[in-house]
Amino acid sequence: MAPIPGRPAASPRPGCRSRGVPGRELVAPTVVAILGALAYLAFPDDLAFFTRIIVAALFVMSLDLVVGYCGVATLGHAVLYGAGAYAAGILCVDGLTDPLLLIAAGSVAGVVAGLVTALVILRAHGLPQLVLSIAVVQLAYEAANKARDITGGSDGLSGISPGPVFGLFEFDLWGRTAYVLALVLLIATLVVLRRVVRSPFGLLCRGIKQDPDRIRAIGGTIYGNLVKMYALSGAVAGLAGGLTAVTTGVVGLDSVSFEWSAEALVMLVLGGAGTLYGALVGAVVFTGFEHYVAAVDPYHWLFVVGALLIGVVLALPAGLGSLAAWLRRLLPQGAP
Amino acid sequence: MPTDGCPAFAPAAMVSIGVRVVSCPARRKGEVVLMRSIRVLVVAAAFAVAIGGVASAETIKVGVIGPMSGPFSLYGRNFKLGIDAYVAMHGKKAGSHDVEFIYRDLDGPDPAKAKSLAQELIVKDKVQYLAGVYFTPNAMAVAPLLVQGKTPFILMNAATSAITEKSPYIVRTSFTMWQNTVPAARVARQKGYKKVAIAVSDYGPGIDAETAFRQTFEADGGTVIESIRMPVRTTDFGPVMQRIRNGGADAVFAFLPAGPPTLAFVKAFIDNGLKAAGIQLLTTGDVTPEPDLPQFGDDGIGIISTYHYSRSHASPENEAFLAKIREVGGRVEDVTMAAVGAFDGAHVIYKMIEATGGERDPEKAVAAVKGLSWISPRGPVSIDPETRHITQNVYVRSVEKQGSTYINKEILTFANQPDYGLIKAK
Repeated sequence: MAPIPGRPAASPRPGCRSRGVPGRELVAPTVVAILGALAYLAFPDDLAFFTRIIVAALFVMSLDLVVGYCGVATLGHAVLYGAGAYAAGILCVDGLTDPLLLIAAGSVAGVVAGLVTALVILRAHGLPQLVLSIAVVQLAYEAANKARDITGGSDGLSGISPGPVFGLFEFDLWGRTAYVLALVLLIATLVVLRRVVRSPFGLLCRGIKQDPDRIRAIGGTIYGNLVKMYALSGAVAGLAGGLTAVTTGVVGLDSVSFEWSAEALVMLVLGGAGTLYGALVGAVVFTGFEHYVAAVDPYHWLFVVGALLIGVVLALPAGLGSLAAWLRRLLPQGAP
Repeated sequence: MPTDGCPAFAPAAMVSIGVRVVSCPARRKGEVVLMRSIRVLVVAAAFAVAIGGVASAETIKVGVIGPMSGPFSLYGRNFKLGIDAYVAMHGKKAGSHDVEFIYRDLDGPDPAKAKSLAQELIVKDKVQYLAGVYFTPNAMAVAPLLVQGKTPFILMNAATSAITEKSPYIVRTSFTMWQNTVPAARVARQKGYKKVAIAVSDYGPGIDAETAFRQTFEADGGTVIESIRMPVRTTDFGPVMQRIRNGGADAVFAFLPAGPPTLAFVKAFIDNGLKAAGIQLLTTGDVTPEPDLPQFGDDGIGIISTYHYSRSHASPENEAFLAKIREVGGRVEDVTMAAVGAFDGAHVIYKMIEATGGERDPEKAVAAVKGLSWISPRGPVSIDPETRHITQNVYVRSVEKQGSTYINKEILTFANQPDYGLIKAK
C-alpha cells in the first residue's frame, strides 16, 4: 500500500502495541459486535437511536483518520459526509433502490469529495488550513442550497425510499434492519481501518503528524500520502452519509454544515484523537449523553453537556479513550 | 411539564361535591352532620374517580418535537405555551382520557435526529399522536413513519406546502408561505402598485414566497421588474436597496426569516431613502413578528404585512387565549404564531381523542377532524378535508404605534384562505 522506502514501522512510537498476534487484530471488532448484539437484545425500542450513534461513530472515525493520525486541522469534514449522503439520496430518488449499492455509491462520492477537498486544504498548514476547511464546507453548503432542484435545498431531499436489503429485509418502524446493517458496516469498517492504521502506510502518516521534516529527510512523501489518507477518510465518511440517507430517508443541508463538522471534532476530542476506539467512545458517549440528558430536560440540557465537555477536557486531556490505557496500566500485566 | 396525572382528579371530585352542597338544604342544626357527610363523600368520590380512572381511562400520550434550546428556542417554548394554555382552558382530559404531552428538543434542521426522536416516541414512549416540528426537513423525515406507526401527526409550524402530501396522517394547524403570500400580491394590486421588486432570502421558503408573489401579481396584471435573492446570512443590504431604487419600483415585496437580518433589512430600506422616496414595503408577517417590532422603532411604522395571526387581533377568543398564556406563566410579549399553531393543534388532538375514544385508530382520528371548524384566537378556521391543511383568514396589517408599544394593526381581511401552494401543484 505504501511504496515508500525507509519503512518507518521499524521505529514505532513507544507504547504502540503491534504484537503481531493474529487474534489480537479481531479483539476490538469482536467486542463491538458483542456489545452491539447485546444492545439489540436489551434495548429493542432504541434501535433508531443506536443507528444514529453508529453513523456518528463512523463519521468520527473518518475524521480521526485525518485529524488524529495525520494531524490535519479541519472543521469542514462534513463535506465528505454530505457528498455521500446526497449521492445516495439523489440516486435513490432517481430510481436506484438497492440499499447496499446506494451506500457504496455514497462511499465513492465521499472518496471524490475527499480528493477534491484534500487538493485544496492540504496546501496549507495550521490555522490557514483550518480556515480553508471552513471555507470549503461553507461553499459546499451554499452549493447544496443553490442546487435546490437536485438537493431539495433547505427543505431537504425527501422521497428516499430504498428497497429491502438483499431483497429480503425491509426497513421497518423499529429500525431493526437499519441497525443490523449499520452494525455490520461499523464492524467491517473497524476491521479494515485497524489494519490500515497499523500498516506501514498508517505508521508513516503518524510519522508525518509528529515530524514531517524527518519523514521528508528519510525519503517519505508528505502530500501524496496525506491525500491518500484523505481519500480513505472520504470513503468512510461517505459510507456514513450514505447509511444515514438510506436509513433516514431525508437528507438535509445539516449534513454538509459547519456545525456537524464541529460536533464531530468535539466528539473526537472527547473520546481521544489518534485511536480508533477513542473515536468510537467519543461518538457513543457524546451522542448517548446528549440524548438522555435532552430527554430529561429538553430546555437546559446544553448546560449539562457543556459541563461534561469541560470536565473531560480538563481531567482527561487525551480523551475518554485514555481511561482504558490508564486502567490497563493499573492492572497487573498478564499475557503479552 | 404535565407529568403528574393525579391533580386532574381533584377538580372533578370538587365539582361533584359542590353540586351536592348546593342542592342540600343547609340548616344550622344539620351542619356538623353535613360536614361529616361531605367529608365521606369527598373520600368516596375521590376513590371512585381514582378507580374509574385506572380502570377505563388510560393516559393518552402526545409527543411534541420542537426547538426547546438554541437560537430558535422562542418557538419551541411557544409550542409549550400554546399547549399549556389549551390544557389550562379545557382541562387535562379529552373525553374520558387524560392527555400527557411529552416534549423532545430538536434545535435545528436535522432529519436524522428527527426520525430517531419520532421513532423513539412511537416505539418506546408509545405516544398515540405526534405534534410540533418547526423545520421542514424534520417534518419530511417524520412523515414516512406515520402509517406503519399508526400515528397521526399534527404539524404546528413547518410551512412548506408539500409536507401534508407526504403522509395521509398529517394535519397542519400552522400556515404555508403560499397561503400568506398570495394575499400580499393581491393587496399590492388593490393598492394600485404596478411595478414591484421582489427581495427574498435565498432558501426554500424565500423561493416559495417569490414564486407565489410573482405568479399572483402578474396574473393580476402587475409587473415584477426584478427579483433579488439575498444570501440567508447577510446583513448588508445596501447594494440590494440601491438596485431596487434604480429599478424604479412602486413597492418592494420582501421575505426574510425573522431575526437580525430583518432588522438590518428594514434599517437599510430607510437609510437608503427608499421610504422617503415613497416606496412601500410589503412583507409576510414572518418579517414583522411582534417581539421584533420595538427594535424597528418608528422606522417600522407603515410596513404592510400579511399573516394569519397577530397578537393584537381583536376578538374574545384571542383575549381569552392571551389571558391563559399569562395564567400558565408565559409572557404575552413572547407569543408568536407558533403558540397559536400549538393551541389549535392541541384542539385537533383533543377532538381526535374524543372521536376515537382513546383507541389507536389513525384513520378514524384523521377522518374526524377533516372539515372540522372552530373559532381560533386567530379567527374562524377549518381543516380542509382534501389537503388536511388549515383554512384561515389572512390579515393585512400595518405596523402602528399604540401607546408605547408597536403593533401589527389589522386593516383588511382575506377570509378563508386555502393553501394556494397545494392548489397550484395539482
